[in-house]
Amino acid sequence: MQLEAIRLSDFRNFEHVEVVPHERFNILTGANGQGKTNFLEALYLLSAVKSFRSQATNANLIRFGADEALLEARIERGGHERKVRLEIGPRGKKIYLNDQGVRNIADFFGTLNVVVFGPDDIGVLKGSPSRRRDFIDRAIFNAHPAFGTESMHYDAVLKNRNALLKEPKIDGSLLSVYDDQFIEWGARILRRRLDFTEHFRPVLERTFHAIFSPDYHAGLTYEPTWMEGTIDVERALEQDSFVETLLAESLRRTDDEERQRGYTVVGPHRDDLVATLNGREVRAFASQGQTRAFILAMKIAEITYLEERYHFAPILLLDDVSSELDRERNRHLFDFLKNRQSGQVFITTTHRDHILLDDDLRVFQVREGNICSI
Amino acid sequence: MSSADPISKLVNAFRKLPGIGERTATRLAFFVLNEPEETSRELAEALLEVRQTVGLCKWCCNLTDGDECKICTDARRKRSVICVVERTQDLRAVERTGDFRGLYHVLHGLISPLDGVGPDDIHLRELLTRVGERKKEDQVEEIIAATSPSVDGEATALYLQRLLEPMGLKVTRIASGVPIGGDLEYTDRVTLSRALAQRRQM
Repeated sequence: MQLEAIRLSDFRNFEHVEVVPHERFNILTGANGQGKTNFLEALYLLSAVKSFRSQATNANLIRFGADEALLEARIERGGHERKVRLEIGPRGKKIYLNDQGVRNIADFFGTLNVVVFGPDDIGVLKGSPSRRRDFIDRAIFNAHPAFGTESMHYDAVLKNRNALLKEPKIDGSLLSVYDDQFIEWGARILRRRLDFTEHFRPVLERTFHAIFSPDYHAGLTYEPTWMEGTIDVERALEQDSFVETLLAESLRRTDDEERQRGYTVVGPHRDDLVATLNGREVRAFASQGQTRAFILAMKIAEITYLEERYHFAPILLLDDVSSELDRERNRHLFDFLKNRQSGQVFITTTHRDHILLDDDLRVFQVREGNICSI
Repeated sequence: MSSADPISKLVNAFRKLPGIGERTATRLAFFVLNEPEETSRELAEALLEVRQTVGLCKWCCNLTDGDECKICTDARRKRSVICVVERTQDLRAVERTGDFRGLYHVLHGLISPLDGVGPDDIHLRELLTRVGERKKEDQVEEIIAATSPSVDGEATALYLQRLLEPMGLKVTRIASGVPIGGDLEYTDRVTLSRALAQRRQM
């Protein structure tokens, strides 16, 4: 997967920029506040049709004083070239694929896949479980775009079920309808996540060894927190009905508790992902540097995983990565990236000399909303 | 122009209609003004008449200007099958196929606890009463749940099944899948994956 060209108009602080990137490495250098991260945000928007900045409203994305922002890109995937256009107005976004308006957004997802690593990502391991579920869900979504609809469906069923549980007199037949739907969709989500974790774990372990340290053993376990005891992953993946029975039993077990609390207390929306280094939990025991290294390894392993299992590599976006890592880890990272045979990478930095790459690259200067190749 | 003047009043009235913005509302208002008075009278009378005479059919809750709708009173329709739809528009869509000769039931909504809509907020009890009362007379055998394949549509269909199957009725669900004449390549993924999951033996 490759970005061949991109044009941004009235987006954030860019009035009009056009960039023709290198097929391997692209370094965006410039002082803070010049628009480097905005450029990565544009790529992310063309992939996910939403921003990675949580506070980004449509109005914020449009350049001050302009009516509408326009993001256009030419993307190559599997020998096919596609044109993507995203129009952002104050009231909504409209996406076009090869000049045709996309009616069902689920059809669009998968046109451009990106994996982003930025200063904020420390929260994936240090923050709440929802951050870890987001990581895993995004990785699954990159491989299976239909997963986006599945998890939206699960959310809707869950919200309805919770609303029902809050009612003073609960209609038993109606609750059983939502029980069935909850079990069906919940099992689907759970199986997808277990399947991902099983296949992802060895790749992560390898990646961590290769980039950071052969002395450390990186581990990752999916934890259904609502279960009594641990889950038999092998059976869960082999037998469709196994997970469904598990969810059904847990619903029955917590019947009184959920009626008392007024919400569903079991299910994949409460799960967590536990990261370990040499068997010790990263969250509790790892240093800041080790934690950053772990998250970066997760992001790069995500790309390798998609490459090996689904035969395509998302574009890697590294936002200010060198300030996140010490010198030695920084060197290992770039050695690893150079040794990959292919794969497009965008890297932002305030100091070009932090980026230990000399070949197969293009350098862009970002200054006051302008981007020039240098 | 103050909001009290008659032209603005008319524009504002038109704007309340779905899909009509300021510009179209203004265009409609001036069209009415330029037409002969007869056009206005016709429009006004039609609007009032529809309000005063159209109500729900006492059997199927379809919109009708009488006590019972034309479908329910049509002796040629098969009375053993009832197709349950969310809205009158859906009934019309099924009618247009010309393939369904049974009766209908219009719910005027879907169950959605999240939006505070429970089974008693849609016209579902009427269906139960009707089936209960007329089951022998009409020999009702099958209920087709023709609600949309959304979360709410699905929940409503399953709820119907819960209530009606114990009454000895066969409850069926409309199929969802690849559109006829459509290209498999351009079918959206969720529909396609569902069509695969619900494939049938040939």
